[in-house]
Amino acid sequence: MHIPDGFLDARTALAGGALAAAGLGLALRGARRTLPDRRVPLVGVAAAFIFAAQMLNFPVAGGTSGHLIGATLAAVLVGPTAAVVVMSSVLILQALLFADGGLTALGANIFNMAVVAPLVGYAAYRGVSRLWGGDLRARLTGAAFGAWCSTVAASVACAGQLGASGTVAWDVVFPAMTGIHMVIGVGEALITTLVVAAVAGARPELLDDRTTGAGRVGDRTMVGYGALVALGLAVFVAPFASTWPDGLEMVAERLGFAERASESPAASSPLADYAVAGIASPAASTAVAGASGTVVAFVLAYGLARLLVPRGARGPIPRAGGAHGSAPRPV
Amino acid sequence: MHHGLSDPYQPGSSPVHRLAPAVKLAAASGFVFAVVLLPRGTWPAYAAAALALVAAAAASRVPLRRLGARLLVVEPFALGVAGLSLLQRGGVVVFLALLAKSTLCLASIVLLGATTRFSDILQTLARLRVPSLLVTTLALLYRYLYVLVEEMGRMHRARRSRTFVRGRWFAWRSSATVIGHLFLRTSERAERIYAAMCARGWKT
Amino acid sequence: MREGVEDVDALEIRHLAYRYADGTEALRDVSFSVAEGDRVGLIGPNGAGKSTLLWHLNGLLPDHPAREAAVRVFGTPVAEPHLPAIRAQVGLLFQDPDDQLFCPTVWEDVAFGPQQLGRQGPELSARVRDALQRVGLAGFEDRHPSRLSHGEKRRVCLAGLLACEARILALDEPSSGLDPRGRRELVGLLKTLPVTQIIATHDLELVVEVCPRVVVLDGGVVVAEGPTVQILNDEALMLAHGLERPHILRHRHPH
Repeated sequence: MHIPDGFLDARTALAGGALAAAGLGLALRGARRTLPDRRVPLVGVAAAFIFAAQMLNFPVAGGTSGHLIGATLAAVLVGPTAAVVVMSSVLILQALLFADGGLTALGANIFNMAVVAPLVGYAAYRGVSRLWGGDLRARLTGAAFGAWCSTVAASVACAGQLGASGTVAWDVVFPAMTGIHMVIGVGEALITTLVVAAVAGARPELLDDRTTGAGRVGDRTMVGYGALVALGLAVFVAPFASTWPDGLEMVAERLGFAERASESPAASSPLADYAVAGIASPAASTAVAGASGTVVAFVLAYGLARLLVPRGARGPIPRAGGAHGSAPRPV
Repeated sequence: MHHGLSDPYQPGSSPVHRLAPAVKLAAASGFVFAVVLLPRGTWPAYAAAALALVAAAAASRVPLRRLGARLLVVEPFALGVAGLSLLQRGGVVVFLALLAKSTLCLASIVLLGATTRFSDILQTLARLRVPSLLVTTLALLYRYLYVLVEEMGRMHRARRSRTFVRGRWFAWRSSATVIGHLFLRTSERAERIYAAMCARGWKT
Repeated sequence: MREGVEDVDALEIRHLAYRYADGTEALRDVSFSVAEGDRVGLIGPNGAGKSTLLWHLNGLLPDHPAREAAVRVFGTPVAEPHLPAIRAQVGLLFQDPDDQLFCPTVWEDVAFGPQQLGRQGPELSARVRDALQRVGLAGFEDRHPSRLSHGEKRRVCLAGLLACEARILALDEPSSGLDPRGRRELVGLLKTLPVTQIIATHDLELVVEVCPRVVVLDGGVVVAEGPTVQILNDEALMLAHGLERPHILRHRHPH
């Protein structure tokens, strides 16, 4: 989803840059407040880890293969604040060193993949795992659902940016991007969950909120991040609401959906092609289609978690040893 | 995704190489911004920009082959979007402008990378008062990305050499386990790096 | 630091014990001393606690320092608030050079220590250049660590310690992973460095070549210490502690 230079006009690029600066700035400030010195190197090598993980091929069909994006994975493993820094660093390095993703588009890319993606993914992960008891199966469900939501949310923002720049017509890019990423999101969810399960299998205490630092992210901070994500999505997507037939009604629904973007971003996608047959109003039918997609994603997420954590293997995540964690080992 | 992990820096002592990293970063960024600001379809302006770039590339004395290789790789995402851009009124102009602009900007970044060490760019960012956590993260990312990619490659090959079961699900599970174990090792390495930083008196 | 007191040992360890959070008892009761300028080999089977011991020499362990420090460096206890000064005096070479070489270029890594100590500008550059020269890596300043061989990375780490002008070098398996030439260069280098050295290693030949004295650690306690040749020639002792008499001594005549 790396947008190259020239695909966004100046206005959109600037908006992307401002939103990225705000999101990254918030995360850096939060990290300065809550990240203990001991975890600073982890943020750096975690970035290298995500970069390396993104390189692994996951065969799909024929000769094609998929790759992990890793935003939700990062948020689960190192906490949402660090994940924003991790993903931003990966994108910055990719843009400067490997010319992967444009320089003017860096702001938009960071907003999509380093702010929206990890935060949406984390919000879903945290919400689901807390609602379901916080044990491993709940976390895996949350991770799977979160990864799917984060992919779709990022693609929504990306589509909005491309549409706003006039690069691609809105009613082409939106269904195309969101549709494809709803499928890609399944792969992302699968890989993310399998990785989290592997980590939990060996060192479950690493997922404990106190270890990852996520425990220090208060609910108010989450609301703050959520507002930024919603603002961004509104900036890039809401202008297109007026192109829909049901004008005002749609705008209201859009903004309403935009605020709850962290819960079910797909619900706001006007996938006309995927509209449920038999429902007259396009707005309502796309809303139903989007909602159905989200529900299906959730059910699949739960199914995967059940597959990985069979009955009888449930139990709380163990706490990391001691108030300060265990001492480092020389070897 | 990532086409060759080789560091783009080509050592040299041309006038371009010897320019201060901050100057080169500013020039490349400025060029990219200027190109993006050019209205769609102003072909003479695009041509002028291309000429400027070719002149800079010549001054850098970096073999064109090295510069050109990265330009030839096509990102599927970019290709897809470019294709979709044709599906609108005036789409052909949009498509060609996309191609021209993105190629010009890409070339500019490639030239920057070929003539400027990334560690120098990092030092420039630090001098520009970019927050230290971000600079440290970028530095550690740059330092350890090859280490972790290699580690992952080793673990992956070891797994594959012990795998006799075919099938996508198994392959996915296996690769995901490799990534999971890589995280565990990364986590432990991070602790030792922290210890090494403290051992040499790291002050935050 | 107490200076001018002639008989202060460089390193004094008294009843050092350490248990990891998961319960593993790495050190049970370790006591020995190292005089300034000495080169001491620390040998023993895997799991004896050698690395854990080295990590105590500059206060990386224990995580929560006890009031009575078991380790003293030139008379100063290894505990807060002396740790910054101790860490400037004791240079620890980590087992995996990739853990210690964390900067993106050789120059930055060697400069890291002196920079933390407040050196800057031409003085800093001179120190870095000098340190790289001493380990035989002049001209490597701009290299990325991933482009270095294992031996070169080791030497960069060593340069980083020399640049801090450490008075004591604590080396954890310095020759592991080195090819024969790299090993020979390391041995030659260690023999020329005038600083106090404590070298934890499995490489018994290196111990014979570099260290006049040796301390044998097994199960978290010191089971023997004394002149290298005498201890290493004691075949029964060696075998009892997971070691063996090195070949280099089998073909020597006892002095």
